[in-house]
Parts: sequence; structure tokens; C-alpha cells
Amino acid sequence: MSASLLLQTLVLGVLLGGLYALLAAGLTLYFGVMRVVMIAHSAFLILAAYLAWFFHRETGLDPLLSLVVTVPLFFVVGYLLQRGLISRLRPATLTMMSVLLTFAIALTIEGLLGFFFTGTQRRINLGYSGSSVEVFGAHIAVVKLIAFALAAAALVALFALLKLTRFGQALRATIQHPEAARLLGVNTDRIAGFGFGLGLATAAIGGTALALDSTIYPSLHWHWIGPLMAIIVVGGLGSIPGAAIAALLLGVGQSLLQIPMGTTWAQTVFYIALFATLLVRPQGFFGGRLAQRF
Amino acid sequence: MPSASDTTTGAAPAGAAPGGATERRSRFDTTLLGGKIALLVVVGALVLVFPQMAADPFILSVGVVIASYAALAVSWNFVGGFTGYISLGHAAYSGLGGYATALFITRADLNPWVALIGGGLLVAVLAVPIGIASLRVRGASFVIVSIALVLILLLVAQSWASLTGGAQGLRVPRPFGEDVLRPEQHERFFYIHVAFVVVALALWWAIDRSRFGMGLKAIREDEDKAQALGVPTGGYKLTVFVISAFFTAVAGGLYALWFGYLDPIFQFSILIGSYMVLMSLLGGLRSLMGPVLGAVVVGYSLEFFKVHYGDSQFHLVALGLLLALVVLFMPDGILPAVGALVDRLRPEKRTSIREMTAEDLLEHNRRLDGGTGTPEGTATPAGSGPGATDAERDLATVPPREEQR
Amino acid sequence: MTSTAPVGGATATATTEPSLETRGLTKSFGGVRAVDGADVTFHRGKINALIGPNGSGKTTFFNCVTGMIKPDSGKVTLGGNDITGKPPHRIAAAGIGRSFQLCRIFPRLTVLENMLVGVRSPSVLHRMGGARNGDDIAKARELLRRVGIDHLESSEARDISYGQQKLLELAGVLMVDPDTIMLDEPAGGVNPALIGRIGTLVRELNAEGRTFVIVEHNMDMVMSLSDHVVVFDRGRPIAEGPPSVVQNDPRVLEAYLGV
Repeated sequence: MSASLLLQTLVLGVLLGGLYALLAAGLTLYFGVMRVVMIAHSAFLILAAYLAWFFHRETGLDPLLSLVVTVPLFFVVGYLLQRGLISRLRPATLTMMSVLLTFAIALTIEGLLGFFFTGTQRRINLGYSGSSVEVFGAHIAVVKLIAFALAAAALVALFALLKLTRFGQALRATIQHPEAARLLGVNTDRIAGFGFGLGLATAAIGGTALALDSTIYPSLHWHWIGPLMAIIVVGGLGSIPGAAIAALLLGVGQSLLQIPMGTTWAQTVFYIALFATLLVRPQGFFGGRLAQRF
Repeated sequence: MPSASDTTTGAAPAGAAPGGATERRSRFDTTLLGGKIALLVVVGALVLVFPQMAADPFILSVGVVIASYAALAVSWNFVGGFTGYISLGHAAYSGLGGYATALFITRADLNPWVALIGGGLLVAVLAVPIGIASLRVRGASFVIVSIALVLILLLVAQSWASLTGGAQGLRVPRPFGEDVLRPEQHERFFYIHVAFVVVALALWWAIDRSRFGMGLKAIREDEDKAQALGVPTGGYKLTVFVISAFFTAVAGGLYALWFGYLDPIFQFSILIGSYMVLMSLLGGLRSLMGPVLGAVVVGYSLEFFKVHYGDSQFHLVALGLLLALVVLFMPDGILPAVGALVDRLRPEKRTSIREMTAEDLLEHNRRLDGGTGTPEGTATPAGSGPGATDAERDLATVPPREEQR
Repeated sequence: MTSTAPVGGATATATTEPSLETRGLTKSFGGVRAVDGADVTFHRGKINALIGPNGSGKTTFFNCVTGMIKPDSGKVTLGGNDITGKPPHRIAAAGIGRSFQLCRIFPRLTVLENMLVGVRSPSVLHRMGGARNGDDIAKARELLRRVGIDHLESSEARDISYGQQKLLELAGVLMVDPDTIMLDEPAGGVNPALIGRIGTLVRELNAEGRTFVIVEHNMDMVMSLSDHVVVFDRGRPIAEGPPSVVQNDPRVLEAYLGV
């Protein structure tokens, strides 16, 4: 393997890992505020990608502009989803039933996408789609760089929001100790709704980034949900930094394994990491102690 | 509320009334039992004559498909119903069972029925490490693992083309030879599936009434608590998980023998796993016949959709909406709902216990304490309305979200 | 069941015999030492109480002893046998029964079924036997009668009142026939009449030779009921002794009042 190929692989792995990290952060948010594994996260991701593609096809404008619509829209949808559906489930069976409910939502979204846009594979062709930059002999597509920049910016913004604002403080308090947060006057129900909104907003951004350089089709979300769930378990359910680190490591791992093993087998790295984590350290490698109990 | 009038009218009628009530109740129960047996006989007879009644081979094949769904749902319900661990990835075991059966026949030249059982046993062995890894974690993580398992097996089955045929699919030789005609094949497989379902139900029933089953149900209700009472939760969960994997694999193998062709996309499909969940949930996870009822309803609807709407994506939407509705509005399923309805017709209402606790318990505790007459006891204070009781009950049933440090 | 029946005579002779001991028990959560090298001795045949301010590590200590949490280091012994880090069902089999903070029962099982969960199964064959065994049911009914909720046996546990659920939990623990019974806040969230009833039951059971370890905030109950009090602060015991002595210990006052 030549040095430039290795470098290229590494860079691609980091770029992919950035997107994984953003999406895994979204999943972690849902889990944090409600102890819910949101299976429909990747379905919303694909939905956002379709919206970006549709926006581009109808208006001819840059698909990035669709973010202006999809991000607020997804935030509201996420809020309503939590307040209207998830919070109605019985607390005793919340974990299992919420998985089924979000699974049902994923199926519905997949079905509707197929219904409206057919199962045909779609791809956005932009003026800069084919261009790439050369770094030390490694060719990196511009769209991948844009996608990564988008994901990284969103992740940094999310982190700043959580760390620096009063809302973020309330959200973190809700995640760590809901009873205590309530005692301190935090409206945890509303905060949980906002947490869902934020999580879904990451799917909107991720979907747009995905649409830039990938071929999309309705059932694509199954290829995303597996790796994403593996990432949040390896990272330790409920820990955003843990999810980000696991995402980067596994993204790079997947990229590196693609060279000797091919794309399909390389995907198994996520599942191997998942099973290894559960056998060795069920609470995850970077995260909190929530995981073991859920 | 009969008990209230009993206490006001004095001791003698109070003594007599419960006797009468018991008699009435037992008569009601006898009628109920008779009704159940009659229903069972009628349904059983209908099932047995179905192949003769079926108008054409297509209807018969739909019958086989529904019986196959019932076999999968009942197998799934060993884990789901007893322990409350919802596996969305049981297609992994049915798919593995199908491929194992097919490969045992084609590669090892085994008799099809030996291959079927061998496939089931192989999957049961594989389920041991999988169970150990995935049952260590609860709730959400377990579901994640179950989904991941299907996705990983799909990858493997597609990539390992030299063994599985990959996307080309795999032909499974027919066990009854080529000279047996299609309708005859369907008929035989229908009966085989029905026999499989009966065996699985019998085992489910036996576990349900055993000490093992009591431990499993305790795990479903509160795993920590069960373990604190001495239930070896790990071993119990693993045992029932392996049983479930074995039956699911055999059901998958039966399907492979009947259908004669395996494709990774359809074998290792999240959808198949979610059908099993939906069927069991709709019929009633905690009841013996729930998954069978669910399989009939969902299986029939799926076939109906296929006939009328073809291959459109609409069946996904229908499945998604139906699952969401069941989860939101009927998480206990049809059969428990019917059971509650029947209970309401009961002449002596069991549910009235809740309302009569205040006075009766006071009386009861007085007797226990040797007539000291102190209002000591467990009763909810007579003054507090049903609202307060509800709040207390909620407090008790909601488990703490996180163990306090 | 081999380790049962410390009835009658056991109490008279074993007044100072240690039953449950921890040595250097430590458990941290992400840098916070919830239990910090605790050396605690609970005495056989006595009613021991474990008290301390909120967040002093009582519940974590409790969970380490009963196996719900694995301690980082240290040792737990029951009657001289090492039970450190064993899974909860083994510890239950060794003779420790426990209740939970905010009473935990099996909500969708009937009261009688709740009791039958505690039946010990020594063999696979026994496990495959019917759960509704006559002897087991007789024992369960006897215990339900003792706590005063036998008339509710066919109700689902979620349908009975909170106080009744607390009594059911206690009866369920007794079904396992433990020598040592650990109660986590038995008086939490129940009315004064019921507190009295639970206190009476504890005293009766103790008179039969069962050792009690009670974590409790209700000081009246602790002082009137217990023989031996251990005071916890910052993850380790700071004082112990008879209630009258502990009550006036300056260190205890300091821990509670934060002087």
C-alpha cells in the first residue's frame, strides 16, 4: 500500500467519521433525555437527503440552501414527536416500546419515500461534484470536504450550545439527573422535547451533507442505523464526546479495512466492535454508567 | 358493589353471600371454560379442513404462508412474551435456519428432515455466545444488538457467495420429490407447519406454568428484583433465548423447504423480524394464543396488500402505521383486551377488591391484631379519593430511572 | 434450603457474633467515591440500622453488599463466607434478602405469583415442575396472612395500594427464607399506622432469629427499633453503637447538620 493511498484512506476515514460523529451525537441526545433509542434517526437522515435532492431538482439552487428549511422543520418535528408520541408511552415499558414506535416511524418514512420518489437511486450533480483537491498526493473530493465541514461545524455548534448556554445547562442537567433538574425548576418535559428537536436537526444537516456526495434510495437508512447504533454503544450510551471519538475511530477503521477487504466486509468492523464492547465492557469505552442498565 | 351491602346488612348474610358469589363465579368460569374449549375445537377443526376447503392452490399457499408466520411468531414469543426482551432481529435465526437446512441437504447430502433439525440445533449452539453477549445488556442495547445481528448476517450472506449463492440465491431441493404436485406440496406443508405450531405452543404452555416460567415472568416485570429474590436471571434468559432461536430456526428451515429458494435480502430482513414482533404484540405477548391470532391477522393483511397493491412501497407505510397504533393504543394486544371485557361480565367482580380495601382491610387487620381496635393497617385512608390511590400506585409501578448513588 | 431456621436458641447465644461484615469496601463512580473503604460490622440476631445524610453512600453500600453493584475493592463476608462481587441471586441463596427503595414488586403478576417467584429451585427438574405447587402456595398464603394481605392474593400487584405493595415486598423476601434481611427505607412514603405495623413485623421476625439491616431516614423508627446503629458519612462509617449513644455523638450531629 503506497503512502499516498494510506493517507487518502485516512483522510476519507476522518471525513466519514465526522458525519458519523454528528449523527451519533443526535442519537445520543435522544438517549440522554428520554432513554430512547431512536431507530428512525437514519430514516430522517435519508428524508433530509431526499429533501435536499428534491429542492435542488425543483429550484436548481445549491442543495446546501435547503438547510434553511429542513433544520427548523426537523427541529419542530422532533419536538412534536417527543411531546406528542414518545411521552405518551408508559414509563414502565418506555425503552422497548419507544424502539418499536421509532421503528414504525422509520418504516413509514421509507414507505412514503418509495411511494413519492420511487425506489430509483438518486444523485445530485453539481458543478463542483467532480472536482477534488490534492493533498500530498491524496485526492479528496471537494463535496466530501464540504460535507465534513458542515458536519464539523454543526457538531461544534451543538457542543457550544450544550456547554455555554443556559438551555444547554438545563439539557445536560436533564440528561444527568432528571429528578434533580426538576427540583431546580427545569421544565424537563419541555427540555426533553427540545433535545429531540436538536437531535433531529442533526439528521437534517447530516442528510444534506450525505446528499452532496452519495447516491440515495429509500432503504438506504438501514445501512446507516446499524453503524450508528454500534457507535453509540461503543462510545457509551449517553456520552456525546464518547460517541464522537468512537465515530472517528470506527470511520477510519472502516476506511482502512476497505482496501484489503472490500466495502461490504469492511462494514462488519462496526458490528465486531459492538459485540466486542458488549463482551468486554458493556458500559462502553468512553461513556457514562447509564449504558449497562439500558 | 356487592361487598358494601354485605357489610351493612349484618354478619349472617355476609357469611352467606360470599358462598353464593363463589358458586356464581365458578359457574361463570365453567361456562367460560366450556366456551373456550368449544372455540378451540371449532377453530382446530376449521384449521384441519382448511386444505380441503381452499378453493384453489393460491388460497392454500396463502394458508401455508400464514401458518409459517404463526410458527415464527410463536417461536419469537418464547423470548418476547416471557422475558419482555423485544428482539427485532429474529430474522437472523430464521434465515440461518433456512440456509443451514439448505446447505446440509445440498452439501452434506443429509435427509431433509434431519437437515431441518440439524439446522435448528446448529443455530441453537450459535445462539449461546450471541445470547451471552446481548443479554448482558438490557432494553435498548439488546434491541440494538438484535438489529445489528440481522444486518451483519445480511452482509455475510451477500458477500460469501461461494457458500450462500450470494445475490443469485440458493435453490433448496424439495423434500417430497418432484412427482408430488404443487397443491399436494402445499397441503403437506400446511399440516407440517400446523403441527410445528402445536408443539411450540405446548412447550410455551408448559413453561408458562412452571417455576422456570415464573422466574422468566419476574424478569420481565423487574429483573433486578427477580435476581434479588434468587432467580438466576442470566441462566434463565439464556435458556429461553436458545429455545427461541432453535424454534425460529426450524420455522425458517421449514419455510426454506416449502418455498425452495433463499435470497439473502428476504431471509435476513429487518422486516421479517418486525413482522414477528407486530404479530405477537397485536395478538398479545403474554398470552398463549396471542401470536397465532396476530399472525393470522397480520399475515392475511400482508397477503391482501400484496395482491391488491402489488410491490408498491405502500405496504411499508401500512405496516409502520399499524405497528405505531398498536404500540400507542394497544400495547397489551387483542387477547388481553378481550379477557378484560370478559372479566367485566363476571358476576363477582375481582376488580372490586381495590374499592373495598379501605373498610375491609381495617376489619381484617383488627381481627389480626386481636381486636385492639386501632385503625392500624395498610388501607388507603378512607378520605383519600381514587386520585390519591392512583398516584400512589403510579409511584409504585414506575421503576426509578437510575439507581441512586 | 440448607441455611434456614436460626430459630429460638440462636438469638440467645449469638448476641455479639458478627453476621455481615465489610472490610475496605470501595466503589467509585467517575471519580466520586460513593463508598470509601468502609469497614462495617452488622451483628447476628440484632436489628442493625444504617443511617446517614443524603448522598452519604448508604444505598451504594447496600447495593455492593447485595451484589447489585460490583465493588471496586474490599471484601464482604456473610458469617465468615466471602460473598464479595457475587451475583445477586447467589447472595440471595447465601441467605440475604433485601427490599428496594421505592418498593419494587412485579406489577403484572398477581399477589400470589409475586410470592411464588421467591421459591428456590435446586435442580433443573424442579424448575420444570409446576409453579403452583401446593406446599409453596400454602407457605405463600401463610406469609401473606402474616403481613395481612392474604385476601388480595388473586389481585394483580399493580392494583393494590402502595402500603399493601410494601407489605407484599416484605412477604416476598420472607418467601426466600433469608437469615439476614436488608430493608432499604421501609418507612419511606407510607403512613404512620403502617410504619407501626412494619416495625411490629420486624420485631417479631427478629425474635425468631432473623438479622436485620435497615437503611432508614425516619429517626423515630430507627431509634425505637434498632439495637445497633451505624452512621455513614462520605462513604464510610463515622460512628456506631446503641441508638442512645449514637444519638448524642458530636460527629453524628456534625454530619447531619453540616456544622
